[in-house]
Amino acid sequence: MELLDNLFLGLSVAFTFQNLTYALLGCMVGTLIGVLPGIGPVATIAMLLPITFHLPPTASLIMLAGIYYGAQYGGSTTSILVNLPGEASSVVTCLDGYQMARRGRAGAALSISAVGSFFAGTIGTIIIVIFAEPLTRMAQKFGPADYCSLMALGLVAAVVLASGSITKAIAMVFLGLLFGLVGTDVNTGAQRFTFDIPELSDGIDFAPIAMGLFGIAEIVVNLEKHLERSGAIKVGSLWPTREEIRRATPAILRGTILGSLLGVLPGGGPTLGAFSAYTLEKKLSKNPGEFGKGAVEGVASPEAANNAAAQTSFIPMLTLGIPSNAVMALMVGAMIIQGIQPGPEVMTKKPDLFWGMIVSMWIGNAMLVIINLPMIGMWVKLLTVPYRFLAPAILLFCCIGAYSLQNSTFHVMQVAIFGVLGYIFVKLGCEGAPFLLGLVLGPQMEEYFRRAMLLSRGDPMVFIERPISLGLLIATAVLLALMALPSIKKAREEAFQEEG
Amino acid sequence: MNRLLTKDFLSGLMFVAFGLGALYVGQHLAVGTPVRMGPGYVPRMLSFIMLALGVLICIVAIVSGSEPVERPKWKPITLVTIGIVCFALLFERAGLIPALIVLVMIASLAGEEFKLTEVIGNIVVLSVLCTLVFKVGLGMNIAVVQGIW
Repeated sequence: MELLDNLFLGLSVAFTFQNLTYALLGCMVGTLIGVLPGIGPVATIAMLLPITFHLPPTASLIMLAGIYYGAQYGGSTTSILVNLPGEASSVVTCLDGYQMARRGRAGAALSISAVGSFFAGTIGTIIIVIFAEPLTRMAQKFGPADYCSLMALGLVAAVVLASGSITKAIAMVFLGLLFGLVGTDVNTGAQRFTFDIPELSDGIDFAPIAMGLFGIAEIVVNLEKHLERSGAIKVGSLWPTREEIRRATPAILRGTILGSLLGVLPGGGPTLGAFSAYTLEKKLSKNPGEFGKGAVEGVASPEAANNAAAQTSFIPMLTLGIPSNAVMALMVGAMIIQGIQPGPEVMTKKPDLFWGMIVSMWIGNAMLVIINLPMIGMWVKLLTVPYRFLAPAILLFCCIGAYSLQNSTFHVMQVAIFGVLGYIFVKLGCEGAPFLLGLVLGPQMEEYFRRAMLLSRGDPMVFIERPISLGLLIATAVLLALMALPSIKKAREEAFQEEG
Repeated sequence: MNRLLTKDFLSGLMFVAFGLGALYVGQHLAVGTPVRMGPGYVPRMLSFIMLALGVLICIVAIVSGSEPVERPKWKPITLVTIGIVCFALLFERAGLIPALIVLVMIASLAGEEFKLTEVIGNIVVLSVLCTLVFKVGLGMNIAVVQGIW
């Protein structure tokens, strides 16, 4: 069977000493930043991008992936113990997790969330294995016009599902696309928006942009807010009672299914998964009044969902080369740094990287259960480090990381500039994630657009004459039209209110 | 006046500014024809969309209102930016440690609490850590202190 062959290939790659080490390293770093509020996976991955330059491609992607799902595990720890979500995706876990902790069930909440996450991660990985091949085969039939439409759909869906104001988010996508044009035009060699700065002729590096927008701006906002720390709570026994297990098991299953589905959608990913899972549990429960007062389901389901979604959000990136959220955009960047063009070719041309990475995700999930449960005491200690020590350290790592991209202080200056820009975005309520997606997809999208127009002799009808492209464009239009409907608009606003 | 100092109106203005800026900077780029697009075709297209969206956001903001902008606190953003710029200026001229000291000092001032002993402790820990990780561990070609190591 081909599938088994692929899995064996993956196992043989993932189980080398080097790759196991990097998976462990990624999981540790991920848990660390998940536990620490004020720094998220986007900023961390951006900071570490330059370092991946020195690593082999498979190892670097394994490590970055580990950071991403490690952060989902770590984020839940702080939500449960101190009512401070380490990550956006574990905000809902606070609601019931912290209440469980106050009733002395912190240990049980932690182990339910870790085991639930592991189960969900496993299922998520299996889903990737099953769907990767058919999707890749489908994507190989795509022409330039189809790709262009697919990217449009991806961008629009990402915006619609993941942000507050749609018009502003779409404008941010276009701003990102515009920034993506900076550099030498591949077809003519003309310099565009480079202001005669030689460093810009290869295009704007997006690691400094991501560091500025997500790292620096986040630090500044946190410094303004003055992060409060409450004392950590005793963990207690890690073993859940039989009653808790009975209630958590179906919730974990539901969370996994919902999270896996939502993770595949562009703009989906862990945060959306966790929120929807919580809402679903509340609706299904016989006594919804328990929610917010320490309901086991309210911890189990969102935790499973955010991890399942973290896994399945790799699907569009790995098979189509389309990132569905900011972290995936950075993974695309990491691949480009390594000279790999993300897309359907990755699986056929680099099967060892593709399957090795997927198998390592499952190994990483298993490592995380160990990192998180027996070692919980260590992470709790870390929580007591005040933010005034962390902020300068994060800034410093951003600066050194940016410098090491090309050994030039120009990139450090870029971090400063985009830090200010990111701060303005935050103050004006404009989201950084759509900007980053536009920035990453911009150059490719222009390329496909120009190629499609050249093939059709300048006739824009090519986008609606090809059936695949037409279907994708219709889906895009339907999505936009749906959002304009008053009832959906209202429901959506309510959903985002809960989030905020 | 309050109607204009809102998040949406100002972000609309920002998009308009970016659109106009891109049009101005990219004015010398050849547009070409749809079949043979010049380097300026897509930039011009995006700039116009940007402009249109910006204007739309402004109009909607004036008609239906939006949240007022919170008053920014100038201290953190200014100090953090100055810190990074100082780091960039010092890093190659003076080396890792001097740049690190200046950055951590300035960044610590941006917070609410500033205790000199704590900051010095932080600097010592970070200096050792960065030297070990970046110079020794990753073998990066950087000077720890310029002219000495």
